[in-house]
Amino acid sequence: MLDRYGVIALFAFVAILFPAIPLAMAWVVRPKKPNRSKRTTYECGLEFEDFPQAAQNVWVQFRVQYYIYALIFVVFDVEVVFLYPWAVAYNALGLFALVEMVIFLGILVAALAYAWRNDLLKWV
Amino acid sequence: MPDAQTLWLISPELVLAIFGLAILLFAIIWRERVYGALAWVALVGLALALAAAVNLWGAHARLFAGMYAVDMFALFFKIVAPIAGILVVLISMDYLRERTRYRGEFFVLLTFAILAMMMMASSANLLMIFLSIEFLSYMSYLLTGFLREDRKSNEAAIKYLLYGAITSAVMLYGLSLLYGISGSLNLGDVALTFSKSADTSVQTLALVATALVLAGLGFKISLVPFHQWAPDAYEGAPTPVTAFLSVGPKAVGFAVLLRFTLTTLPGLPEFANYWTPLLVIISIATMTLGNLVALRQTNVKRLLAYSSIAQAGYMLIGLVAVNLGGSSPFSGLNGVLIYLFAYLFTNLGAFVCVIAIENATGIVEIPEYAGLVKRAPLVAALFIVFFLSLAGIPPTAGFVGKFFVFGAALREGFLVLAAIGVLNSVISVFYYFGVVRAAFFLEPKDTSPIRVAPLVTLSLVVTAAMVLLIAVYPEPLFNLAAWSMAMLK
Repeated sequence: MLDRYGVIALFAFVAILFPAIPLAMAWVVRPKKPNRSKRTTYECGLEFEDFPQAAQNVWVQFRVQYYIYALIFVVFDVEVVFLYPWAVAYNALGLFALVEMVIFLGILVAALAYAWRNDLLKWV
Repeated sequence: MPDAQTLWLISPELVLAIFGLAILLFAIIWRERVYGALAWVALVGLALALAAAVNLWGAHARLFAGMYAVDMFALFFKIVAPIAGILVVLISMDYLRERTRYRGEFFVLLTFAILAMMMMASSANLLMIFLSIEFLSYMSYLLTGFLREDRKSNEAAIKYLLYGAITSAVMLYGLSLLYGISGSLNLGDVALTFSKSADTSVQTLALVATALVLAGLGFKISLVPFHQWAPDAYEGAPTPVTAFLSVGPKAVGFAVLLRFTLTTLPGLPEFANYWTPLLVIISIATMTLGNLVALRQTNVKRLLAYSSIAQAGYMLIGLVAVNLGGSSPFSGLNGVLIYLFAYLFTNLGAFVCVIAIENATGIVEIPEYAGLVKRAPLVAALFIVFFLSLAGIPPTAGFVGKFFVFGAALREGFLVLAAIGVLNSVISVFYYFGVVRAAFFLEPKDTSPIRVAPLVTLSLVVTAAMVLLIAVYPEPLFNLAAWSMAMLK
């Protein structure tokens, strides 16, 4: 029992080490020239404080298309969630799972086709 | 790997899934050219699903590792669901043509909503219950907000969505607690864990968990205090959708509540001591609040919304007084099933009347119903039939339902509850007949006759005939309910 947890602990240790080492190395070798835009949260070049007072109101209307894109993204997201485990276990599952997967993808493609046909994929 | 037998047992669901997707594809490929025909495709699909469900009658099986129960209790609701769907399609064709460009999508969503209802009726697994309820909820939100250019429809959908999301989260929390207690998602195993455990902490936790689950189901059934969404959603939604929401989700919400309560809870010895008073209080609150607030409504859709809240309260009496042991004709459970079946036709019929008037004139305010008898005599006359049935006055289906529900309450000694139920029925007569009074005894401003579309007339006649038929010849329905509940014993 205990040595099994030991394996998990080892994994956890390596998992922490894995990103920590490159970060530490970069911190050692990189030149340090901080400026204001680099220190900002998202480093996107546009800062909240830079806008005039009038534009700082966050209750603005977004284009509804952002939401539609997010919804269409879900189609692919769900697809991937099921495709990976299926692909890994493909040999064990055989033809039946293949047919099932085709039906599943068919249903998702119908959703995509609906969006496409209604011109939702064009950014207007 | 499912064999042919399994596919056969889920044939109603398969038919609806295939037809739903087919309608979607037709709508994608041919667009406006086939919108008129898609309603008929939906009708064919629903009729086939109904036939498949009737054909399966007598089946008793657990599919997919016990997640999915195909028994007569589920099949009862699988017969109810397509009937509701067919009537809603019939009344929505003319209504939609005037109001929206996206008629194809409506029938896709409606077909999938009926599919979700069937899945709810068969769910015998906590996860399946949650997923199917969410499935039905999403379809309901979309249908509620279907008139995109109409602000009221949008408002209704948003309110419905926000309320539904919160109650779903609460219910999911309850389901996760149940899973934590029992280590299983199957209702049968949960019940087994309950009955084995003598630990009082398990009892307490189970009580909390089931109360949380009740919140989610109470939302679907619109029980007080989870009813606030109903009047606004009913008022803003397209009227055929309101008709659907008032019967469909409510019926299968009761299906899940009954299955959940009657399979899971008998394992808890102390449970009845807490659960029964809780349900009694909710039932009284639901009936009374629904009826009292309905007294003050002037919009007929809101009036029917509050009336449908009150109706859920009456039905809950049957669950309170449930006793599956004896051989008495009043088992409580059969009362709920008979009531639901009668309510299906009665409430849909009342909404068909509303739609008949709204389609032709846009009127939904009760004072404007003045002199309806001169403008649309058939609609006015049938309003009386449906309102008699909703109030539970013979010779109508509503009376048969109330007879079995109140009878069970009396038999189990819930005298006060039965008395409050009867008192509430009396109150309800007042506002139902407020509408009738306007229609028959007030002078109309505009005396032009109202033309009712043929399909709407057909639905009117069918629902009214069923309401009267159930009253004069209730035996088949009585047997149907008896067989359905035999499966839950």
